Amino acid sequence: MEGALDLFLQQLLNGLTIGMIYALIALGYTMVYGVIQLINFAHGEVFMAGAYLAMTALVFFGTLATPLPVWAVFAAVVLFSVVGSAALGAGIERVAYKPLRGSPKLTALITSIGMSFFLQNAVMLVYGAKEQSVPDIFPAGRLEAGPLSVSLLQGVIFAVSIGLMVLLTRFVRHTRTGKALRALAQDPDTARLMGVSVDSMIRLTFVLGSALAAVGGALFGMYYGSVNFHDGYLAGLKAFTAAVFGGIGSIPGAMIGGILLGIFEAMGAGYLSAEWKDVFAFVLLGAVLIFKPSGLLGENVPEKV
Amino acid sequence: MNSRRLALAAALLVAAAVAPAALAGDEVRIGLAAPLTGDQAYIGQCVLHGAEMAVEDANVKGPVFGSTRIRLVPLDDQHNPTQAVLAANKFVADPDVVAVVGHFNSSCTKAASTIYHESRMAQVTPGSTNPEISRQGFDTFFRVCPTDDVQAPAAADFVRSKLGIKRIAILDDQTTYGKGLADAFEKRYRSLGGEVTQRDGITQGEKDFTPLLTKIRSGKPELVYFGGIYPELALILKQAAKVGLVTRWMGGDGVAEPTLITLAGPKLAEGVYVTRLGLDPHTVPTAKDFASRYEARHGEIGPFSAYAYDAANVLIEAIRRAGSKDRQAVLAEVRKTRDLPGLLGPVNFDAQGDAIGKSIGIFQIQDGEFRFIEEARPAAGS
Repeated sequence: MEGALDLFLQQLLNGLTIGMIYALIALGYTMVYGVIQLINFAHGEVFMAGAYLAMTALVFFGTLATPLPVWAVFAAVVLFSVVGSAALGAGIERVAYKPLRGSPKLTALITSIGMSFFLQNAVMLVYGAKEQSVPDIFPAGRLEAGPLSVSLLQGVIFAVSIGLMVLLTRFVRHTRTGKALRALAQDPDTARLMGVSVDSMIRLTFVLGSALAAVGGALFGMYYGSVNFHDGYLAGLKAFTAAVFGGIGSIPGAMIGGILLGIFEAMGAGYLSAEWKDVFAFVLLGAVLIFKPSGLLGENVPEKV
Repeated sequence: MNSRRLALAAALLVAAAVAPAALAGDEVRIGLAAPLTGDQAYIGQCVLHGAEMAVEDANVKGPVFGSTRIRLVPLDDQHNPTQAVLAANKFVADPDVVAVVGHFNSSCTKAASTIYHESRMAQVTPGSTNPEISRQGFDTFFRVCPTDDVQAPAAADFVRSKLGIKRIAILDDQTTYGKGLADAFEKRYRSLGGEVTQRDGITQGEKDFTPLLTKIRSGKPELVYFGGIYPELALILKQAAKVGLVTRWMGGDGVAEPTLITLAGPKLAEGVYVTRLGLDPHTVPTAKDFASRYEARHGEIGPFSAYAYDAANVLIEAIRRAGSKDRQAVLAEVRKTRDLPGLLGPVNFDAQGDAIGKSIGIFQIQDGEFRFIEEARPAAGS
């Protein structure tokens, strides 16, 4: 019989892994909301596109006659996915949301839902409706630290996600562009008067959010070993929940919300019932909306959507 | 030159006169409802292609009666019971649609069956195996595949008696299909004196099952039975290896797809047992030709493509015998179907509309392929 503590730690790791990915996606939701008060429902699809691009690159590297080192392949795959998805994110903003600037918020919200359907079906037409297998590049070894044992890929997921979150936080806090972004989130009109280029800042937000989602998608595809054009739906919904849980509009909120949601789900599924896993996630969403609508770290702003 | 032109003009004239006569022939429509987009789009398209080929084959032979040809009208139910009801209402509202092939998912088939029943329209499902659907007592409902009442007990008998396994865990994906299959399995397995260490469910479309598998690991089952479909089982097999759950696995027809092996990898899929509704189309003499024609056009064939072909043929033959576009007449003829030569064996229906005499094949994945182990004939009177 294995110890209850080992089991608990294992469940904690299970939850942390998916929580990191939720956090990466949630950042895109929260940043876009912070800047233009739009819940971009197409964001889950950008994440899914990131996973497909990573899969495509992995398949390509698998066909090379002389295999490259694992780290080089990993970096190239993530880069390919990030560039492709960032372009997609910027494209979506240009085509679907920019023409609607100034129109009622609901119009853009509904457009984002339409965009989500469009992207899902576009990917289905390009890649086919079938699940696609993602080649495994990481060796099977495990990293051991005392009672904890994580697979190499889990270690990579932790390192990459935490690294990106630190980088993003520093960028937003300490650079000129980051300051402009925060100014825009605070008061778009005044920001414009101060010489902030609103259009290019909004584009940058979409590019950053999409790039983070692409990293999440690439890690997600490698971790689970398969991708489906439908994957963006549930993962996007969970990440949205995480963003609201942490306080929509708040960057640290999205990170903490994502990680906590992952752990919360894993504990619910592991100790209560896996049948109710999604229920736990959405009960959490409901509870936050009822008792603390601004979320864990969110500011108390009158409703905007 | 001149005479040649004249000949050409004459030929064109004749063609112009004849063509409309050929085209003007009446058409009778067969509806097809399946998940053509959404999470189950792949299986839905297998069903569509199978039915399409049946209609093409019938039209090549000439009009089904008089100058009437058949047209297949596909509608997408997105694996969503609400959409299934919308599709059913559309079919019912179109006077040229006389009968329907579909739906695929048990949840959709069940939701739509009420509407077909009210409109006296025959519905033949190629792949919904949940037994509850035919127990509603609708005389408009038919299916060409065996039910989970046949499939799951056959699997339980095999696990308990042939493999001699005493402790198992059971998972399902909480769909009408998956839960029905797992329930029927559990009932039979317990009645044979087996012990079920855990019974839990997952959500379809979910990707992370590590918490659940970690929990199952602590119960140390000798085998895990999964009621669900292959994408989830592939993920489960991979994640089970990650969390160190070592056991044997079995599933129903929903996981018996070659893609399971591609997704999970031949190493992790090795040894998985599955039941199939009937045999592999490649190995059945009556289905071989269809399988190769299908694969030349659409890629890999599954059992549901063959059942969709058979389901469409049941309707085509009923329309031929009825000789009219009257739904009642077609329905009456569907019920009279006797020993219709199907790809996977003769098609016969019992009083509830369920297929009679369809056998269950038990397969195991060996060296990256589904290998036939034994055939389980349905017990009489179930």
